[in-house]
Amino acid sequence: MEILFDAAILNGTILITLLSFVLILALPRRLGFSITMLAVLCNSLSTSWIAIHALIYQPLEFTIRFGNFAGEVLLKIDGLAAWFILIINFTILTGFFYGLGYLKSYALSGSKFSLHRIMFLFFHLSMLFVCMIQNGFAFLVVWEIMSLSSMMLVLFEHENPGTFKAALNYFVQMHIGITFLTLGFIWVYHQTGSFSFEAINTYFLSNQNLWLFLLFFTGFGIKAGFIPFHSWLPHAHPAAPAHISGIMSGVIVKLGIYGILRMVTFLKSDFLLLGEIVITLSIFSGIYGILNASIHRDFKRMLAYCTIENIGIIGIGIGIGLMGIGNNSPMMYYLGFGGALLHVLNHSLFKSLLFYSAGSVYQQCHTKNMENLGGLIKSMPKTAVIFLIGGVAISGLPPFNGFVSEFIIYKGLIEGVHSASISQIILFVLSLAGLSLVGGLSVLTFTKAFGTIFLGQPRTKLTHKPAEVSLLMLVPQYLIITVMVSVAFFPQVYMIFIGNILSLMNPLRSAPDILTGIAKTTSLVSLYSLLLTGIIVVVWMLRSLVLKNRSARIGATWGCGYIAPNSRQQYTAKSFSKPLGKIFNTVLIENKQFEELNHGEIFPAKKSYISHYQDFFEHFLIKPITDRLVFSANYFSFVQNGRIQSYVLYGIVFILAMVFLTIFNIVV
Amino acid sequence: MLSLLLIFMAALFFTGIIVRTKSLASGRKGPGILQPIWDVFRLFRKGAVYSETTSFIFQLAPTVYFSSVLMAMLVVPFGRSHGILSFNGDFIFFAYVLALGKFFSIIAALDTGSSFEGMGASRESLYSMFAEPAFFILMGSLALLSGHTSFQEIFSSLHIGSQISYAMAALATFVLLMISMIEGSRMPIDDPKTHLELTMIHEVMILDNSGFDLGLILTAGYLKFAIYGALIVNLFIGVIPFQYAIPSFFAIQFLMAVAIGLIESFMARFRMSHNPQFIVVLTSVSLLIFFGVLLILQKFI
Repeated sequence: MEILFDAAILNGTILITLLSFVLILALPRRLGFSITMLAVLCNSLSTSWIAIHALIYQPLEFTIRFGNFAGEVLLKIDGLAAWFILIINFTILTGFFYGLGYLKSYALSGSKFSLHRIMFLFFHLSMLFVCMIQNGFAFLVVWEIMSLSSMMLVLFEHENPGTFKAALNYFVQMHIGITFLTLGFIWVYHQTGSFSFEAINTYFLSNQNLWLFLLFFTGFGIKAGFIPFHSWLPHAHPAAPAHISGIMSGVIVKLGIYGILRMVTFLKSDFLLLGEIVITLSIFSGIYGILNASIHRDFKRMLAYCTIENIGIIGIGIGIGLMGIGNNSPMMYYLGFGGALLHVLNHSLFKSLLFYSAGSVYQQCHTKNMENLGGLIKSMPKTAVIFLIGGVAISGLPPFNGFVSEFIIYKGLIEGVHSASISQIILFVLSLAGLSLVGGLSVLTFTKAFGTIFLGQPRTKLTHKPAEVSLLMLVPQYLIITVMVSVAFFPQVYMIFIGNILSLMNPLRSAPDILTGIAKTTSLVSLYSLLLTGIIVVVWMLRSLVLKNRSARIGATWGCGYIAPNSRQQYTAKSFSKPLGKIFNTVLIENKQFEELNHGEIFPAKKSYISHYQDFFEHFLIKPITDRLVFSANYFSFVQNGRIQSYVLYGIVFILAMVFLTIFNIVV
Repeated sequence: MLSLLLIFMAALFFTGIIVRTKSLASGRKGPGILQPIWDVFRLFRKGAVYSETTSFIFQLAPTVYFSSVLMAMLVVPFGRSHGILSFNGDFIFFAYVLALGKFFSIIAALDTGSSFEGMGASRESLYSMFAEPAFFILMGSLALLSGHTSFQEIFSSLHIGSQISYAMAALATFVLLMISMIEGSRMPIDDPKTHLELTMIHEVMILDNSGFDLGLILTAGYLKFAIYGALIVNLFIGVIPFQYAIPSFFAIQFLMAVAIGLIESFMARFRMSHNPQFIVVLTSVSLLIFFGVLLILQKFI
């Protein structure tokens, strides 16, 4: 009975989405907003209800009809799916309401909105179903809907050629990803004769696990943004409107992680080797991502690279978990996957928060280049504080939530240090160093970003005077901060759910005492974060008390003897990270264009200096390949000659070929 | 609790001893040992000047910086006695809490809008970032050696006995000492006594701080030195009874202060562009310790 009801709800969400699709098109444009809001609310609340149900009680399973080809498709909401569904719904809701405020400045271009709204609904629904579907064929279809609808969302400012290029890049890369996934599912189908996820399970039971898993890992890794499959992120995220970048970075990327975790649940062997591969790749993703984040001056691109770093951190957790299964160590299993799942939640919170506040800055200042900003804390104090909280949290510093999940992952690494084999010990100690380097670099990255955007003096005169954004944009961000604080100070609540998810994922490894141990440590950590906050408050109060009757003068910044400083002389973001860029110049390739001063040039003319950083992998790996592809494709350009006659001819040749091939029994 | 008291006491004298050593080495008499503390008290009684460019961040940052050092101090043990807080993985907490303080001191420097302070902030963030892996590899190897994951358990079960372990303790001392030089902005990395803002790191970041806030920053700096000194002491005292451990704590802290004073008297600061190389060398020293641990545990076949 219960199950029937839930299935009805799910069918209802599809119905609602399709209905609002028609309604948005048919009804006057001014009603579109209310319809979208209703549909988003209905879909997210109903699916959240099911997900909470599944998370607390037991996994739900039911079938729905999925077209003629796939027939009856199994939907399953287990803990893993429920966890991701809840994250998706929360981010979608905050993103939707933030987006209402954000898109107000585009009010003149009304015709875009209908498409944007429809795509938003499809995007939301497809993400939800990606988490539930247990059938390869249906999964690919929904996955494709998700990629396409998100591409349309990125394309919001389509009149901008840069946006168009970024969306195209995203489109192509997503299809390379889906090719890998399709190959994986076809491989399983070929071996077992079924597209259902159960078949992957049986495949893994009787065959080698390594290669198929790596195939899926590559496919999902492109979505998640592991290096060297990351290059769509720094293009697509800056191009999309802020609420979409927040959702993309907060959740879409996580669905890649979901896919990897789903495949992990089917794995039967090769855990150690896969764990080592995943950890190594993740460490490099983390360091590479944050290195690039630290040098870029486009703050949305900086955040996009930072996503790659966090995917690396999540990946380290997954790797630790895999090695925990391989080593038969429940402790590592829970710490690794637990840390990864908690970090998935944390990152979806603070990354969407950062993208929203960065979007607020963009809305007010109309530039994404932090070099043109400065001193915004005076005109946008609330946004500044929000960005600061996001920055401290994402750097993994106490007392915020980022520290809790990073701490759990660190604990997993240290647990791994105690393992028996020397290769693992070395891997774990080096990972420890790598993760700490990532932590140090993210402090550099976010002090730079916050300092240049919000502190000091305005570096350029902006045409519009920036002001604090509307309450509609601020409230969703406050909501996110509330949840972040709840994770930071009550992580044990979340860890209990994660523990349940993990023990159901792999029932053999159910170890209640270890779970309570981990929950205890995390609650200790949160307690000490609370203590830290307490100490800060006490010291602050003491300071206020002491300074109550003291004189405080206001003067100019000490200019070291120079009395006519101007705001362009402030330290720039570029110079802040220049020493780092120089040290890592093998990976961080800087392209400079400038003319040197000629010898004897007494009256120099105006000169320009342009410098920008290039993505190492895009430059050395992807570009050569695409260049060669384009080069060889040129030889076939005669096929596409623009004459309708020849296109008709191609059709006829194809039909004839099919006819003859069937007649001669070559194609069955 | 004991460690907290001892660190406070050591912090009282530490900087004074450094200054005195430098004075004696350059043939001057020098101020009294407690002069730095009197300076701080004087600052605490003063009013303040704030730059018109700054925001509340600038006033909040010294408080956060000081609190983070206090919090880090709570997890440092002393021999057999726990720190006030002690839990598995507390050294991660230690490093990250200190990083929080650094985060705020860096943004406070950027808040003034001064190009010099921005430069100091850039250097500070770069150097402290490079020092992190050295600390984590060191602690990871010690965790591997002792089989534990909290400061107190690691230090109390270090078995100093074989020749390799002496070598390792020496190397670990070197690493911790150098990290404390980086954190405390002392000589080979940074020159606190230079008169030119271009060549400073930490000093230039706090150019605009005055009064109570400057007092907090200076106190935090003194405490930081004593904290790292306490960590070094912990490498050696293990489970020695307190009547020997406490005098040796002060002896080692004294030696460390004198050593820093001597280094500052007879060495010049490294070129700024050589600093990162030097700090990365620390990581490789930590790796040496790690291989030493692998040798001791006979993981190499």
